[in-house]
Amino acid sequence: MNLLTKKETTSTANRVVTPRYDVRETIDAYVLTASVPGVDKTSLETTVDGDKLTILGRRAFQVPANWTPVHREIPQTDFKLVLEIDNRFNRDAIKAELSQGVLTLTLPKAEAVKPRKIEILG
Amino acid sequence: MKLIRYHNSPLYSPSVNHTALRNEMDRLFDAAFPPLDLLQRDFPVDLYQEKDALVVRAELPGFKKEDLSVEVADGILTVTGHQKATATDAETQSTQERKVSRAISLPDHLQVDKIQATYEAGVLTVKLPKTEEVKPKQITVEVK
Repeated sequence: MNLLTKKETTSTANRVVTPRYDVRETIDAYVLTASVPGVDKTSLETTVDGDKLTILGRRAFQVPANWTPVHREIPQTDFKLVLEIDNRFNRDAIKAELSQGVLTLTLPKAEAVKPRKIEILG
Repeated sequence: MKLIRYHNSPLYSPSVNHTALRNEMDRLFDAAFPPLDLLQRDFPVDLYQEKDALVVRAELPGFKKEDLSVEVADGILTVTGHQKATATDAETQSTQERKVSRAISLPDHLQVDKIQATYEAGVLTVKLPKTEEVKPKQITVEVK
């Protein structure tokens, strides 16, 4: 299925990394969860532009001046995920929730693609 | 110029030194698959030295506060995240369990009873205060 296919992100000046993400399908929506540790509400942007859904998360943490790094494993790169969405989604009703570094996007299916029962006439 | 005897199958020829081949295979595998302790890092950790504390930052997205535990025993700090989520759909019920852990050996002279931990934006920050004796002290020496 090529719903929510990842679009190649062009490299920008700032280095970005694709967050780990998952897409689950429910009866009336697609639910995307993306891991963006270190990103808080103010540094996360989710935009829909045409058929492009862009998630941009900036790591808010700055090492305080009086902290000396001894050992570092956590990358400092920002997160960027660009997905293609088409008219199978109701893009006006996309909901986003951020909790402890996990972004949950609920993308409701457009009425046209929801399962429906067809009444037999006569 | 060297003359090398031609073998149809170097793997099964009895005249081939199998130890050398095995060593070469081991070397290739070691290069392709790094030692397990590097792969077994469940989550990345940063360590910082502050003037009067040691700070540990651990990236653990998607946990609840109560699912995280921070323990210190015998000079080893263990950070564990244990999550058990039960999702109920219309038809199915699924249980997902996730357990991750890291152990970090600590230097001496830390006030183990005064450790503070905060969890924000999926990042756990543990502050381990140093005991008085290792804090750098400024002594003024009077020169006469």
